[in-house]
Amino acid sequence: MSSDPDKLVAKADKLTKLTLTRWSADWRNATLNYEQAANAYRVAKKYEKAKDAFEKASKGQEMLTSPWDAAKHMESAAALAKELGNWNDVADLYRRASELYVECGRAQPASDALGKAARAVEDHLPDVAVQLYTDACSLLEEDDKDQMAFDLYRALTAVHIKLEKYTDAAAALLRLGLAADKCNASNSQFKAYLSAIIVYLYANDVKAAEKCYNDCSQIPAFLGSDQGRCGSRLISAYSEGNVEEIKRVAQSSTITHLDHAIIKLGRKLPTGEVTAVKAGTEEGEGLDEDDLT
Amino acid sequence: MSVIDIIFRVDEICKRYDKYDIEKQRELNAYGDDVFARLYATVEADIDAAMGKADRAAKESKRAVTAALNAENRKTKARLMDEVTKLQKLARKKVKGLSKEEQAIRADLVLALPERIQAIPDGTTTGADQGGGWGGSASHKNITFDTSEENLNDDFFQQSEESSQFRQEHERRKLKQACKDEGLDVISDGLDTLKNLAHDMGEELDRQVPLMDEIDTKVDRANSELRNTNVRLKQTITSLRSSRNFCIDIILLCVILGIASYIYKYVCVLYLNSLTYFLLPLLAVFHLLSCLANTYLFCTCCSILQG
Repeated sequence: MSSDPDKLVAKADKLTKLTLTRWSADWRNATLNYEQAANAYRVAKKYEKAKDAFEKASKGQEMLTSPWDAAKHMESAAALAKELGNWNDVADLYRRASELYVECGRAQPASDALGKAARAVEDHLPDVAVQLYTDACSLLEEDDKDQMAFDLYRALTAVHIKLEKYTDAAAALLRLGLAADKCNASNSQFKAYLSAIIVYLYANDVKAAEKCYNDCSQIPAFLGSDQGRCGSRLISAYSEGNVEEIKRVAQSSTITHLDHAIIKLGRKLPTGEVTAVKAGTEEGEGLDEDDLT
Repeated sequence: MSVIDIIFRVDEICKRYDKYDIEKQRELNAYGDDVFARLYATVEADIDAAMGKADRAAKESKRAVTAALNAENRKTKARLMDEVTKLQKLARKKVKGLSKEEQAIRADLVLALPERIQAIPDGTTTGADQGGGWGGSASHKNITFDTSEENLNDDFFQQSEESSQFRQEHERRKLKQACKDEGLDVISDGLDTLKNLAHDMGEELDRQVPLMDEIDTKVDRANSELRNTNVRLKQTITSLRSSRNFCIDIILLCVILGIASYIYKYVCVLYLNSLTYFLLPLLAVFHLLSCLANTYLFCTCCSILQG
């Protein structure tokens, strides 16, 4: 066994190539060689070659019908790709790994892989990250492991807020609330609803915030909880146009217990004109009369 | 000789020489058998004493003392009113040695007595003569608000030292209460944080519970598999141990084959028949092999039964 990784790779390639003399590829030995070569490359910090070797090793393991090892190799390859900075490669490799994990029937590592991928690319390819997070969450929800999805939803919300897509962020928070409801995690659920209301208010969409609050109030426990009371105070402060009250509510301790991104939004409230709410409702009534005539 | 002895002695001497005390004799003789006169004299003396007390009460600044003096005066007045009725009866009685005019005078004197008695001030009267002062008004019959001019000057509405002190105290207490409120606010914030932490910890633990259950089942499965493997390994090892017998068998075989070939060499030399050259050693070899096989089988059976 030569310790030179190039030679190992060459040998393994020879083992796998089908020629006249070789009717079936010897995958076991080839995979062994590929793994050794990949580790050697990683130690030598030749990331490109290591990545390739890991990919080939993974394929070998697939041929040996052990998807678990294949997935593990794929993940290593993806981590090396992250070092290299090939973000598309990273996403693809992690996706492939996640599919292999699903083949094993293990949803948790699959979603972990997607989560790692999303975290790696969220700075550079935020849309791809969004897609990855959503896929990860749906994987967990299919497998009834909603509790693990909380962190992913929160990360997804953070990405949306960074992209300033506030409706998407609020939607993600409401999905978090739904997941929390399924596992009776009432504290997280109420915090998610309050965060959604704050996001709507930050986006200056008071009507949507009110609608959101009314929807969430269908749950009686929410009305009586700290977060529910805080939300109602915010909404009433907005409808009265009372800036002082809004600021005071935003400084309260209930909001301090939410996520960092939401706290930042809350501190910046109120955005835009607050007193325009009442005028808006009057306009609405005028339009209705016009429609009736 | 003690003081008491002296006092007794003096009293005795005074009694003995009382008859030489002119004024006293005169006094006693003056009223002699006249009950009325004696009673009248005592009543007058009481009235004078009461007037003295009332004067003292008016001058007294302590309320308690004035109240006590007034109460005594009232008691005295009540008693004296009773005496007056007695006097009235006595005055109507005919006394020997008294002229009609004197009797009439006595009657007038008795009539004048009640007025004099009532005139003794004891703090309850609110006659026109008296100014309605605060002093000595301990009775609740006549509660009036004093609006006399002597008190309504500027000093009345000025803050006295006491009231300003009260105000300062009140403000100090208010400040302290504000500090306490701030402290309570801090405590409330801390409790909010604790509550949030506790909720999150509870949810995290809920999350860990199914994971722990999964770990439990997987570890149980691995445990049982390991136990099975161990047992099988033990069985294989015990069967391998009897390979010692195997080696012994093989060595014996080789030795006996060597002996056989030796004998075969000798037999070839002795016997010229080719068949016998061929068969006898073969028979010998087969015989030996079968004996060996029997011994080997016997040994393995023994080892299996043991282990």
